[in-house]
Amino acid sequence: MKKGKGMQFVGDSRITANKQKFIPKDYSEYPGKTEAFWPNFLLKEWLVGAVFLVGFLSLTMAHPAPLEKMADPTDAAYIPLPDWYFLFLYQLLKYQFASGPYFIMGAVVIPGLAFGGLFLAPFLDNGTKRRPFHRPIATSLMLLGLVSVIWLTWEAAEHVDWEVRAEQNKPVLEEAVEIDKEDPGYEVYSSQACINCHGDNLQGGAAAPSLIGIDRSAEEIMDIAKNGTGSMPAGQFEGSDEELQQLAEFIVSANKEE
Amino acid sequence: MMQKIYDWIDERVDITPLWRDIADHEVPEHVNPAHHFSAFVYCFGGLTFFVTVIQILSGMFLTMYYVPDIENAWKSVYYLQTEVAHGQIVRGMHHWGASVVIVMLFLHTLRVFFQGAYKKPRELNWMVGVSIFFIMLALGLTGYLLPWDNKAYFATQVTLNIAGDLPYIGDFAKTLLAGDPEIVGAQTLTRFFAIHVFFLPAALFALMGAHFILIRKQGISGPL
Amino acid sequence: MSEKKKQVSRRQFLNYTLTGVGGFMAAGMLAPMVRFAIDPVLQTRERGGFSAVVDVDELTNEPQRFDWQIDQVDAWYESKVTRSAWVYKKEDGTIMALSPICTHLGCVVSWQGNDDYPDQFYCPCHGGRYTKEGVNIPNTPPPAPLALYEQKEEEGTLFLGKAIPREGA
Repeated sequence: MKKGKGMQFVGDSRITANKQKFIPKDYSEYPGKTEAFWPNFLLKEWLVGAVFLVGFLSLTMAHPAPLEKMADPTDAAYIPLPDWYFLFLYQLLKYQFASGPYFIMGAVVIPGLAFGGLFLAPFLDNGTKRRPFHRPIATSLMLLGLVSVIWLTWEAAEHVDWEVRAEQNKPVLEEAVEIDKEDPGYEVYSSQACINCHGDNLQGGAAAPSLIGIDRSAEEIMDIAKNGTGSMPAGQFEGSDEELQQLAEFIVSANKEE
Repeated sequence: MMQKIYDWIDERVDITPLWRDIADHEVPEHVNPAHHFSAFVYCFGGLTFFVTVIQILSGMFLTMYYVPDIENAWKSVYYLQTEVAHGQIVRGMHHWGASVVIVMLFLHTLRVFFQGAYKKPRELNWMVGVSIFFIMLALGLTGYLLPWDNKAYFATQVTLNIAGDLPYIGDFAKTLLAGDPEIVGAQTLTRFFAIHVFFLPAALFALMGAHFILIRKQGISGPL
Repeated sequence: MSEKKKQVSRRQFLNYTLTGVGGFMAAGMLAPMVRFAIDPVLQTRERGGFSAVVDVDELTNEPQRFDWQIDQVDAWYESKVTRSAWVYKKEDGTIMALSPICTHLGCVVSWQGNDDYPDQFYCPCHGGRYTKEGVNIPNTPPPAPLALYEQKEEEGTLFLGKAIPREGA
């Protein structure tokens, strides 16, 4: 006997005494042009894999993985954004029927129903028919889900200016920029109000952005120091024009050093 | 020599059937793109597995440089990406692979769904597969925090706030994930790291093993 | 049979191609990763610069211990590390700057560290001893003399660089 109670073992082990030759299975079930997995079919799969790998490696070389500035919990101006495959959930939570008092709706009920339905699909769609047109409810629900996910992702991504975002958040290694504190411009920087918000190393703070990694001319900086920009009020600078010039040149030079 | 070693082992533990079963099974015509070009849709599962292998390998290599610590995490990522040879490629593989694997999983899921391939007797394998999808999404979510840059930090803060707003279990879930009821910081990073490199991959391996064993046991679904 | 052997069957051909394609995929995947992993081995390090240690005038014929700090860059971690040396002037005026690291198991030796052995460097861990020139004394544990620092003298100041190990005596 090959199996069951009459099976013979070597000693006390689980290894059968009479090794059976491997017998290939009967594939009469599939009468078409079948072929062996190894090596015929696997070769085709691997050729696809090799082409895919070349494309994938080209992608990694053409587009370096993005890295933003080191996390700064005090950066209040930062707009959070999840990775793209979570954008649809992120977008869903923006709608009125899914936020505020209906938060449960957006965070639990809708995704729960969708993913729960997906998980239990074999039991919800338990007929014997397999073709999509023969099970219209399952097919249309899936298409509906698909369209809404794509549409939500699109809606979320459309409102983001990806290029500006990438530009603003370029990584800066702090040590790379050395502030020349002997510079007369730094004197002006620290005696005027600048240092209070932008920090003693131009690194920025809770109320103001970093002055390192900015791309502005001296004229623009002089204008901003006097007239403000964004959340920075006007009239912050109260020195002479000569000091203003020194300050602007100092900030420009701090951005050039590298 | 190799043959002798093989025979020696095979005589004792009978390993031949293990690989012969995989190597010799016949692949039916309807999944073979050589016969029907439309059968390329059957590639997505295999490509998902391939990208998963890339993810595992590149992840293993990345941990040679990466440290899960809020002071050094970003610096180590910056260092490995800018200073170490091919660091940009290895990190790029892991970063883009995370996106590609989701795309491939998505396409694979759609193929199985629209072909009705999850029907009896393959219900169990469908559920295993959907679980793998969830694990992959969780891997993406936890991995997103690890470089500790602004986008990682603020996205995770939002995620944790969503978890914290859940009814009944909110505070519990948030504290469990973040390691602190208020702060998203040192403990959050170490927790996400542990989940990302130990807990989720362990679950992933178990589920993938089950997925493949079930495929071999039940065979691929017949033509429509 | 022998004629048949020379021919490559379809199956064999497919096997070879399969191995080739598989090898290509494995290589494509692993090449960047392996290069990434072995990078520390291949990195050419700049030879450490020299640091000012002491005025030459302060040196005597008796070894004195001097400490100085260097900036150590360990990938993304930068720190100050203290180095020390036993420095003295020989009869002929040349300067000896010896590393205090015992060549046995890396403890720190000191000049005249043991009253039983005056005019020797003594290592407290396993009783290793060295002569004033830093040469290990036979039948004590150390296998080699103390390392000698690279040195240069500029404007009356002694600069020390890296410690160079010496061959065993």
